Amino acid sequence: MPDDTLLTSLLTAIDAAPDDVPLRLHVAGLLAERGRPAEALQHCSQALARDPGNAEALALLQRLTTAMAPPPQALHRPEPQRPGPQRPEPQRLQGFDWTQAEDDVAGIEEPVPAEDELPSPVVEDIEQPGVRLADVGGMQQVKERLELSFLGPMRNPQLAKAFGKSLSGGLLLYGPPGCGKTFIARAVAGELGASFFAVGISDVLDMYTGQSERNLARIFAEARRRAPCVLFFDELDALGQKRSHLAHSSSMRNTVNQLLSEMDSVTADNDGVFVLGATNHPWDIDSALRRPGRFDRMVLVLPPDAPARGAILGYHLRERPVAEVNLDRIVKLTEHFSGADLAHVCTTAAERALALSMRDGRLHALTTKDLEAAVREIRPSTGPWFATARNVVAFANTDGEYDDLSAYLRKNKKL
Amino acid sequence: MTAAGNAAVLQRAVNLRLLGRLDDAERVLREALAESPGDPDLLGELGWVLYLAERPAEGLAAAEAAIAAAPGEAHFHQYRASLLSDLQRHDEAVQAAYTAASLRPEEPKIARTCARVLSRARRLPEAYQAARHAVALDPESSASHLLVADIADDLRDRATARRAYEEALRLDPQNAMARHDLAVLDVNTGHPMRGLRGLVEAGGIDPTMPIVLRTITVVLWKLSWRLRMLFIPATIACVVASGAEPGDATWSARVTAAASLLAIGLLIWWTVRDLPTATRPAVLAALRSDGPLRISYLGMAACVLLFLTVAGTGIGVFAGFVWLVLGMLGLLALVVGATRKVRGR
Repeated sequence: MPDDTLLTSLLTAIDAAPDDVPLRLHVAGLLAERGRPAEALQHCSQALARDPGNAEALALLQRLTTAMAPPPQALHRPEPQRPGPQRPEPQRLQGFDWTQAEDDVAGIEEPVPAEDELPSPVVEDIEQPGVRLADVGGMQQVKERLELSFLGPMRNPQLAKAFGKSLSGGLLLYGPPGCGKTFIARAVAGELGASFFAVGISDVLDMYTGQSERNLARIFAEARRRAPCVLFFDELDALGQKRSHLAHSSSMRNTVNQLLSEMDSVTADNDGVFVLGATNHPWDIDSALRRPGRFDRMVLVLPPDAPARGAILGYHLRERPVAEVNLDRIVKLTEHFSGADLAHVCTTAAERALALSMRDGRLHALTTKDLEAAVREIRPSTGPWFATARNVVAFANTDGEYDDLSAYLRKNKKL
Repeated sequence: MTAAGNAAVLQRAVNLRLLGRLDDAERVLREALAESPGDPDLLGELGWVLYLAERPAEGLAAAEAAIAAAPGEAHFHQYRASLLSDLQRHDEAVQAAYTAASLRPEEPKIARTCARVLSRARRLPEAYQAARHAVALDPESSASHLLVADIADDLRDRATARRAYEEALRLDPQNAMARHDLAVLDVNTGHPMRGLRGLVEAGGIDPTMPIVLRTITVVLWKLSWRLRMLFIPATIACVVASGAEPGDATWSARVTAAASLLAIGLLIWWTVRDLPTATRPAVLAALRSDGPLRISYLGMAACVLLFLTVAGTGIGVFAGFVWLVLGMLGLLALVVGATRKVRGR
C-alpha cells in the first residue's frame, strides 16, 4: 500500500536522523491516525526527550494518553464482590431458640476500637475543592510540569506503569512565599477529583511526648480511609526539618521519623493517597524525605508571570470602583511581585482612592495613578527569598535539583 | 490560665521557636500573656524569641519583666545579657552575664553567653577565660570550641584558634560556621585557595548562610590583587625585551610575552588545581554579585589579550597598555575599598 510505503520510508528516515523532532512528530501523528498509538507514543516521548518544551509534542502526548487510557469510570470501578469460600454451617444446639437469643442482644451496640473515637485533627478541614488548574491564571510552565510529572501518570496509571513510572511518592511545591502554592495544591486535588486535607504544623505538633507522632499517624489513617484524597502538608520544612537541626528536640526528630514511615509505601498502603507538600525552604527539609517514594518530585512555583499578574490584579479589583486602569502597565511594573504583594498593591491603591473620596466628599474611582503610587510604595516581598535561593544555587545545586531555579535566576539576572 | 495550661503554651512556643517559626511562637506567647501577664516563664521565652527575631528592645522589656517576677532564675539574666549586648549596652550586658553565671556556674550555655558578651564588649582575655570555662564544663560541645577559636583568633593566637576550629569540626562536621571561620583563618594566614575550598564546603553544609558568598567575594578581591602583581614583572620583561623601539615587531618580545603567559597560566593552574568542582558556580555567583570585582577580572582578561597580541605581533608597545589597565584596576580597587569602608562605619 502506498501509505505503508510512506510510513516505512519515514521510519527509515528517522533511523537516519533520530534528532529530527518535527519528522518524529509527523511520524507519530501518522501512526496515531493508523491506530498504532503505542508506537506513536514512543516517538512522541523521544521527541519530548530531545525537545521537552515542544508544544506540538505535548499536545500530541496529551491526545495519545487520553486515547490510550481506559474510560475514567473503569479506573475506580469497585471490584465485584466475589463469593467467599463455602463454610460448613455451624452445628446448632438442638432445642435452643437462636432467633430469640439474637433478638435479646440486638440492642447492644457493637464495640468500637478506642482509637476511632478520637477525632482526627484534620477531619473538620476535609474539603472537596471546586478549583481546577484552569482556574489558576497564567503559570503555564507550572501547569505543564504538574501535568507531566504528576497528574498525567495519576490519571493514566496503566500507561505510567507501562513506562515504568512509579505512582507512589509525593510532590513538593516550592518557591517564594505568597505565590499560590496552596491554591495550586487545591487545584491539583480538584483535577484528581479527590478530597483535600490541608495539614498545618498546629494540626500535628503537641506538647505531650509521642502525641505529635500519633496525630500524624491518625491523619494518614484518615486520609487512607477517605481515599482518593490529596494530603497537603503546608510548610513542610517545619514538620520535615533536617534532623541534624533538631539535635535538641527528640520529639521533633520522632515526628520527622513518623512522617518518613507514613510516607513509605513499604510500611503503609497509601493507594489513592496523593501526598503534596509546600515549602518556602526546600533546602531545610530532611534529605530522607526527598528520596524515591517520598517527596521525589519537585515543582518550582515562581512569582506570577504577566498573564497571572493580570488575572490576580483583575480579581482583586473586581469589586472595587475602577476607572481608566491600564492593567497592562501595572502588570509590567509588578515584575517579581508575589500574589500576596499584588493583593497588597490593590488594597493600598484602594485606601488611597478612599482617602481622596473622603476628602472631596465624592467617589473617586481607582485609576492607574493610584495603582502606580501603590506599586512605588511596595517592595516585592520575594527579594529575601531570592537572595537565599541564589546562595543555594551557588552552593547546593551539585546534583541539579535546583536547575529550574537556577535557570530562572539566570534569566532574571539574579545569579 | 492554669499553671498546666501555661506550661503547655510554653512547650508549644519552644517547639515553634526550634522550628524557626518565630512569629507563631510570639503570637502564642502573647496570647497566653494576655491571660497571665506575670508568668515569668512565658515572659522569659518571649524575650528569647524576640532576641532571635532581632528585636532586642522589645525582648529586653520582656526579659526584665521575667527577672522582676523571678529574680533567682539564671536563664532570664542570660537572656537579658544577650539582649543588652545586641543593643550595644556592653557594661550592663557583662554585668547581667556575670549575674547569670554566679547563679548557675555549672551551666555551659550560660558560660558561653558570658564569653560571647565579653567578646562583644572587646574584653577579650576575660572572654577567652569564659570560653575555656565553657569547654571545661562541656568538652563535647562543638559550639564551645568554636567560641574559643573565634576569641583566640581575635587575640591573634592563630595556632590555638586553628586547633579549636578543628576540634569543633571534629565534634560536629556539619558546623558550617566553624568551617567558614576556619576558612577565613586560612585566608588571613596567606592560604587563599585553601580558604576558598573551605568556604565552598561551608556553603555546601549550610547554603542559606549569606556570609559565605560575601567572604568568597573578599577572597576573590585578594586573588585579583595577587594576579595583578603577577602581571607587573611580566610587563616589565616584555617592555625590556621589545628593545629601544617598542613599536617595531621583535622576536624577543614575542618569546617573552609567550613565556610570561605560560608562566602565569601554569602558576594559576598550580594554585587552583585542587579546588572542588563546586567552586565554579560559587565563584561565578560571587562575581555576579559584585560589579567592580567583575570589572576587575574582565580587566585582567584584557591584560591576557594584550599579552597574546604581543606574542602574536611581536610589538612590545601593547605590553605598555597592560600598565594602563593595571593602573586603572588599582584605582578602582582603592575607590571601592574606601567607599565600602565608609559605608561599613
